[in-house]
Amino acid sequence: MSEWQPRILAILCNWCSYAGADLAGVSRIQYPPSIRVIRVPCSGRVDQLFILKSLQSGFDGVLVSGCHPGDCHYISGNYVARRKFALLKPLLEFIGIEPDRVQFSWISAGEGERFAEVITKITEDVRKLGPSKRLVKKT
Amino acid sequence: MAAVLPVGSDLSGAMNRFLKTILEKDIVDAVLMPMKVPSGDSFAWIIMSDSSIVDDAEAMAPVMPVQGARALRSLTRKGEGSIRVLALMRPCEIRAAIELSKLGQVKTENLILAAYDCPGAVPMDSFVSDPSSGEDLFRKMLAGEDVSAGEVKPSCTSCVEFSMTDADLHFGHFGLGGTEVLLIPGSPKGMEILEALELPADRETSIWDEAVRKRREKQVASRDAAFEETGENIRGVQGMLNVFADCISCRNCRAACPICYCRLCHFESETAKQDPNSRLDSAVTRGGISLPADRMLFHTGRMTHMSLSCVSCGQCSDACPADIPVAQVFSFVADRTQKAFEYSAGRNDGDPLPLRSFMKSELSGIHEMVSDAEPGGHAHE
Ligand code: SF4
Ligand code: SF4
Ligand code: FES
Repeated sequence: MSEWQPRILAILCNWCSYAGADLAGVSRIQYPPSIRVIRVPCSGRVDQLFILKSLQSGFDGVLVSGCHPGDCHYISGNYVARRKFALLKPLLEFIGIEPDRVQFSWISAGEGERFAEVITKITEDVRKLGPSKRLVKKT
Repeated sequence: MAAVLPVGSDLSGAMNRFLKTILEKDIVDAVLMPMKVPSGDSFAWIIMSDSSIVDDAEAMAPVMPVQGARALRSLTRKGEGSIRVLALMRPCEIRAAIELSKLGQVKTENLILAAYDCPGAVPMDSFVSDPSSGEDLFRKMLAGEDVSAGEVKPSCTSCVEFSMTDADLHFGHFGLGGTEVLLIPGSPKGMEILEALELPADRETSIWDEAVRKRREKQVASRDAAFEETGENIRGVQGMLNVFADCISCRNCRAACPICYCRLCHFESETAKQDPNSRLDSAVTRGGISLPADRMLFHTGRMTHMSLSCVSCGQCSDACPADIPVAQVFSFVADRTQKAFEYSAGRNDGDPLPLRSFMKSELSGIHEMVSDAEPGGHAHE
């Protein structure tokens, strides 16, 4: 068990993806133990800085997940989140952060299976990339 | 179509006389414009209701000490005033004011925003050290004479929005040989001023249009060259780190920026303070970190927060004691983020801020990560 395990921060909307994670747990669906979860009231609460900060703090990947389009409990938080994300993504790529390290998805409260799939996918993607060395000055 | 203002011997003087007249005729109650400070090495924003003070003011100042939009914000951030104020500023200052009005920081109801064809500004540091050469240089720039690019504020050499913006009234003088100024109304408010002065807007503007077009072509070429250079310099984490390597974390760039209006910046807040051991842990796992911490996080964070509204005025570079080309980097990034949403900061008062407007179906590439996920196939009960 000495193999390197990616550490991924999952920022989950309370109303959907967080409940989806709960359902995955209750249903005993297996997924890699790679994530640390932060619960937010809505994906719209996620500031781009949260993502930059997680990478700077040494996380190997970041997942932001909110309600499906049309299902946000605050009507439009997830649409705004999508725009913020579209803004951050090219910047991250430009400064040399591999696109797969930071991902965005929609997972509803009823989608325990999908939650496990998403976590498995990002874990595998990040594992392929290896530990995050970016935003770290090499001297 | 435009009205015509005859120019005697000096362009700035003719504009001053115009402002004096509208004050005397009570068409506006006050005018906000630059005035030279007593020591003669800078200019300050003065709001004046007495028309005799206008004689001592300068319609077009050689330097840009405080971004005009910041002056307007300090005036109206608690709501519009009860008197009508005409503010005469550079186009980038007007654009920043329009952005701030969308952000709820400037109230434009009782403001008349006026701009002029801007020939660029003299960098603050060179002006302060030799004001009279600075003024000579600016006179040459106004007259359209060639000056070396190094003498002009770097952002101005690549500015493509140097002429008419979404202002209420525009003073066009490019291409007219210094003999007259065109008064071009940009809104009903601007039109009202011309009507109150009984100035008919009956002159067609083709000579001016052509001069602006020509200049824009030149400016676009030098902007593209500047972007190319900046793009190369900041590519990759290492590039970005190198550009900001000299940063002393003074945050002057943020203080001078017209768009950064937050009362408490995240980087000054309690949340940004970190447990010493977590910093020490980073130092141990990475082999070393630089202090004060969060230098790059500050710049990239500020970028993600305000690049959609950056007007490329260059104030951040002008304010940087370490000579970092902050504005060049921010304009480069802003150009790309604004293009992604087909937005141009401050160009049009009617265009909604990109983060406030969205379409239900857009940007699909952003979130399709599970290959068999059905679009919209959600099971939310
Ligand atoms: S003004 Fe210059 S030195 Fe000061 S924080 Fe900004 S980039 Fe760093
Ligand atoms: S970031 Fe710099 S160039 Fe952009 S608006 Fe602020 S001061 Fe002007
Ligand atoms: S409530 Fe879930 S994304 Fe807004």
